[in-house]
Amino acid sequence: MTLRLLLLLGLALGIAAIDTVTDLEIAVGVFQIAVVLIAVRILPARAVAGVSIVCMILTVLSYRFTRFGDTEAGLINVLISLAAIAGTTYLALRLSAAIRTVHQTRAHLAHITRINMLGELAASIAHEVNQPLAAVATSSGACLRWMATEPPNLAKAQQALERIIADTHRASDIIARLRGMARHQAPSKQWLNVADTLNAALRLLTGELNEQNVTLRVHVEEGLPPMLADEVQIQQVILNLAMNAVEAMRQVDVERRILQFDVALESRQQLLFSVSDQGSGLSPSDRERVFEAFYSTKQDGMGMGLAISRSIIEAHDGRLWASSDPQTGATFHFTLPAVTRESDEPN
Amino acid sequence: MSQTDVHDLAESMIYIVDDDSSVRESLQDLLASVGLASRAFGSAREFMDANLPDVPACLVLDVRMPGLSGLDFQQEMARLNIRVPVVFITAHGDIPMSVKAMKAGALEFLTKPFREQDLLDAISLGLGRDKERRKASALVDDLKRRYAGLTDGERDVMELVVSGLLNKQVAAQLGLSEVTVKVRRGALMRKMDADSLAALVKMSEKLKDASGA
Repeated sequence: MTLRLLLLLGLALGIAAIDTVTDLEIAVGVFQIAVVLIAVRILPARAVAGVSIVCMILTVLSYRFTRFGDTEAGLINVLISLAAIAGTTYLALRLSAAIRTVHQTRAHLAHITRINMLGELAASIAHEVNQPLAAVATSSGACLRWMATEPPNLAKAQQALERIIADTHRASDIIARLRGMARHQAPSKQWLNVADTLNAALRLLTGELNEQNVTLRVHVEEGLPPMLADEVQIQQVILNLAMNAVEAMRQVDVERRILQFDVALESRQQLLFSVSDQGSGLSPSDRERVFEAFYSTKQDGMGMGLAISRSIIEAHDGRLWASSDPQTGATFHFTLPAVTRESDEPN
Repeated sequence: MSQTDVHDLAESMIYIVDDDSSVRESLQDLLASVGLASRAFGSAREFMDANLPDVPACLVLDVRMPGLSGLDFQQEMARLNIRVPVVFITAHGDIPMSVKAMKAGALEFLTKPFREQDLLDAISLGLGRDKERRKASALVDDLKRRYAGLTDGERDVMELVVSGLLNKQVAAQLGLSEVTVKVRRGALMRKMDADSLAALVKMSEKLKDASGA
């Protein structure tokens, strides 16, 4: 970020310098709009306004120090340059605000869609399971009545009980099938480079990180062995943990919004990934509860992300857990089996 | 206990329409255990195609079925003038759904799994209503048959008599002799099986209601 700012400043100074050495009639200062346009892509709105003011000051200064040319034409050129810079800044900021709104709306829509899907799913589960339950309840009532007759009709009562047993099994079969569905298919594992996998996932987050002014720090230990994992699923976990961390830092000062990713070889057989934020951390009771389905500490959270992430990591024979420190926020850790060099050959 | 309520309704039939075979089977068994005859159908279509006996009945209808849903079928029944009382059962009821069903005249809306006593109570209420409805409509049918046996002259006399006119006034209006009116009046009272003018007035009202409805 600092490097980018310096480059931007260099570009602005360069344009101002050329403007100074050329005649007053040549409006090189107009090219300061390039600085503004670049700034819009990498800086928040207020900083863009600052950059634009710096560009304007540079343009005025270069007019003062230019020695050659007609002063009157020069003055008009400066005014044109200033108007161009101001106009560009205004339009670019308007555009980026509109783009941001589109992003937010899309994210909101995706969230609503997921919630609706979940509601649909819950309704159809309720329907499926309630059918055998209704049959069981009704058969139980019938059974009681057959036994209460004088003399008791034991044959009928026995038939009712047999139906109850069959329907109970049917209900548990439905639940077993649902659990199978929820557990995804078996992950399709392949040999993956740790750094590449992590970076590919984090690239998807660039926009979000810039928007929230979050600084990303990644430290991947040198010479890590490849891991055998489902690329899409592992990236899903990384994205989920990173998004949670970004959201946890919404209320934190901009300078403290740091998302830290560490990957190290914990033992010969195990890779350890850690994702740390600078948010307010997790209470001891939440540290385990956050992994429960439908439990969320976020106001509009669905409580599914971490539950799914944990089931993915466990399907990879790893573990996912949280730790928390009031000074440094929350850290989520997960392990994945590493492949030592001698077994490096793909099976 | 509803066992006593339903015993006098032995000459009746409960129809069950549900796509789930174990729900159908358990419901039939429950009804059998309290002495109620029942017939079960896997879909609304099967029920419509079946040849049904002409006895007091009550329909236990599942809401969510493939093909024609229970609620749609209820509308269809109203259109076809099938007037069997309906008890809805559903595995996932919501309030708008139950309101719709009740507004369309359902007796009860039960969410699966329901208490079997609630269902039996609803069925016994339904059978009672259907029996009354059938009795009332049988009465009207009988009246219509008797009215159809009157001559045109007797019908004219009946219309004026039930509007409160005396024989003399009826005779004047129809341009008949008072004796003729008296004879026709005696004949129509006998044919309609009315033992008083008040009874005849009631019959005439019922006939008007039936033809108006």
